[in-house]
Amino acid sequence: MTPEQRRRNRIAGIILAIIVIAIFAWTFVRGSALMN
Amino acid sequence: MSSVTADHVPASHGHDDHHEMPRGWRRWLFATNHKDIGTMYLIFSFLMLLEGGTLALLLRTELFEPGLQFFQPELFNQFTTMHGLIMIFGAIMPAFVGFANWMIPLQIGASDMAFARMNNFSFWLLPVGAILFTASFFVPGGATASGWTMYAPLSLQMGPGMDFAIFAVHILGASSIMGAINIIVTILNMRAPGMTLMKMPLFCWTWLITAYLLIAVMPVLAAAVTMLLTDRHFGTAFFNAAAGGDPVLYQHVFWFFGHPEVYIMILPAFGIVSAIVPAFARKPLFGYASMVYATAAIAILSFLVWAHHMFATGMPVTGQLYFMYATMLISIPTGVKIFNWVATMWRGSLTFETPMLFAIGFIFVFTLGGFTGLIVAVAPIDIAVHDTYYVVAHFHYVLVAGSLFALFGGAYYWLPKWTGRMYDERLGKWHFWSTMISFNVTFFPMHFLGLAGMPRRYVDYAAQFTDFHQIATIGAFWFGLSQILFMYVVLKAYAGRGEPAAAKPWEGAEGLEWTVPSPAPFHTFVTPPVVK
Repeated sequence: MTPEQRRRNRIAGIILAIIVIAIFAWTFVRGSALMN
Repeated sequence: MSSVTADHVPASHGHDDHHEMPRGWRRWLFATNHKDIGTMYLIFSFLMLLEGGTLALLLRTELFEPGLQFFQPELFNQFTTMHGLIMIFGAIMPAFVGFANWMIPLQIGASDMAFARMNNFSFWLLPVGAILFTASFFVPGGATASGWTMYAPLSLQMGPGMDFAIFAVHILGASSIMGAINIIVTILNMRAPGMTLMKMPLFCWTWLITAYLLIAVMPVLAAAVTMLLTDRHFGTAFFNAAAGGDPVLYQHVFWFFGHPEVYIMILPAFGIVSAIVPAFARKPLFGYASMVYATAAIAILSFLVWAHHMFATGMPVTGQLYFMYATMLISIPTGVKIFNWVATMWRGSLTFETPMLFAIGFIFVFTLGGFTGLIVAVAPIDIAVHDTYYVVAHFHYVLVAGSLFALFGGAYYWLPKWTGRMYDERLGKWHFWSTMISFNVTFFPMHFLGLAGMPRRYVDYAAQFTDFHQIATIGAFWFGLSQILFMYVVLKAYAGRGEPAAAKPWEGAEGLEWTVPSPAPFHTFVTPPVVK
C-alpha cells in the first residue's frame, strides 16, 4: 500500500464514520422530537 | 463482468509464503491478513449456524405434536427470538463478510483490505456478541422473548436478558459497520490499475452496494435499541405509551433498518450466484451492466418500503396503497436478475457441479420466496396472513434457500482456492440434493399452515395443524443432519484430502482470483496486477 493510498483510505474512512455517527444522532434526535 | 485478464501477476508467490506469516495462536488473535480473517469469519458463522439451527430443532421438536411436550411457553419464546437473532446477526451476515474478506481483495487485485487492524477488531467483536446472546439464557428470566424485532412495549418489560440482547446487537452492529467501511474503502481505493468499477466482478459490486446499505441502516438500528435501553433504565419515554411515548414509532424505526437488512442478506448472495452461473455455463454473464443497475435499484427501493411490515399495525389507505405498490416495484429489478441468470445459461455449455447445483437451486427456490413476497405485499392479503406460518415460509424461502444456498454454492466454488484441494464432488452433490429436498419438506407445508390460520411464535396449536407440523419437523431434522455432510466435505478438503486444485479449477471461471495459485498464498498481489 502506498502512502498516498493510505492517506486516501484514512480520509474515506473518516468520512464514512462521520456519516454513521450523523445517522445515529439524527435518528435519536428525531425520536426525541416526536416524543415531545 | 467484462473479461478480465491480468497483464502482470507475481509468478509463483513462493517468496511471499515464508515471510511475515505469524505462527501459532498469534496468527489468529492478531490476524491482519484478509484470508485469515475471512477464514475466521466463516468458521464463526458456521458455529453460529449450528447454534441457531439447534434452537430451530428444539422449536420443531416441541411443535411435533399439539400440547406442551418439552418446553414451557416462556422458554419456547426465548428459543424463537434467539434463533432469529443468532441466524441473522451471527450466521448470515458474518458469513457474507467472511466471503468479502476472502474474495474482494483477490478479485480486485488488492494486497489486503484497506484497514487491516480494524478488520481484526471487527472480527473479534463477534465472539463477544455471540457470548452475550448465549449467556442471556442463564440470567434471571432467561433470554429475551420479544421476537427478533424486539418490539416495544414487550421489550420494555423483559428482564436483563433483553439488555444482553441490546448490547449484543450494538456490538455486532458496530462490527458490521466497521466491516462495511473497510469494504467500501477497499473497493474504492485499492483496485488494481485498469480494474475500473464496471470491470469488477459482480460479487464486488453487490458487496459495495450492500456496504452502503449497512452504513445507512445499522446506525438506525443502533439508535432504536439505544432508545429501548434508555426507556428501560434511564427514564425516557420514546416507546413507552404509559409515559407519553409511542410504540408504533419503534416499529417505524426498526423496519427502516429491517427491510434494507433483508437486502443486506441477499445482495451478496446475488453476487455469488452471478459468479457461479457464468463459470458453469461457460459464457459471460448476460447483462452485466443491467445487473449492477438492478442491484442499485433494489438497494434504493429497500429504503422506501419499510411499512409493508406494518399493514396490520394500521395506517391510512393511501399509506397502504403507496407501500403496496412500492414493494411490488422491487420485483422488477429482481426479475431482471433472474432473467439475466437464465439468459446466461441459455445455450451455454452447462455442467452441473455442486456450486452450479446450488446456484440453480437458489434461482428456483429463491424465486418461489420472491413470489410469496409479492403475495404478502398486497395489503388485504397481508392483513389476513400477517403473523402466520405463511410469513415464516416466505422469509425462510428467501433467507435459507436464498442466502444460505448461495453461501453453500460460493463455499464449494471457492473452496479449491481456499484449501488447495478439490472437495469430494460426490458428497457435495449428496449434500445439495439432501439439503434441497429437506428444505422443501420443512418449509413448503408452512405455506398451508399459514393459509389455514396457524399463527407464528405459538408453542401450541389446534389438532388440525398436526400433519403439516410433523412433516415440517421431520424435514427440519433431515435438513440439520444434511449440514453435517457439508462440514465433513469442507473439513476433508481442509485436511488436505482430495485432488490438488489447479490455480483455475473451473474451466469457465474468470477473474483475478484464478490467476493466483491454489491455495491462495498468504500474501497476494503485493505488486498490483495490471488489468486489461
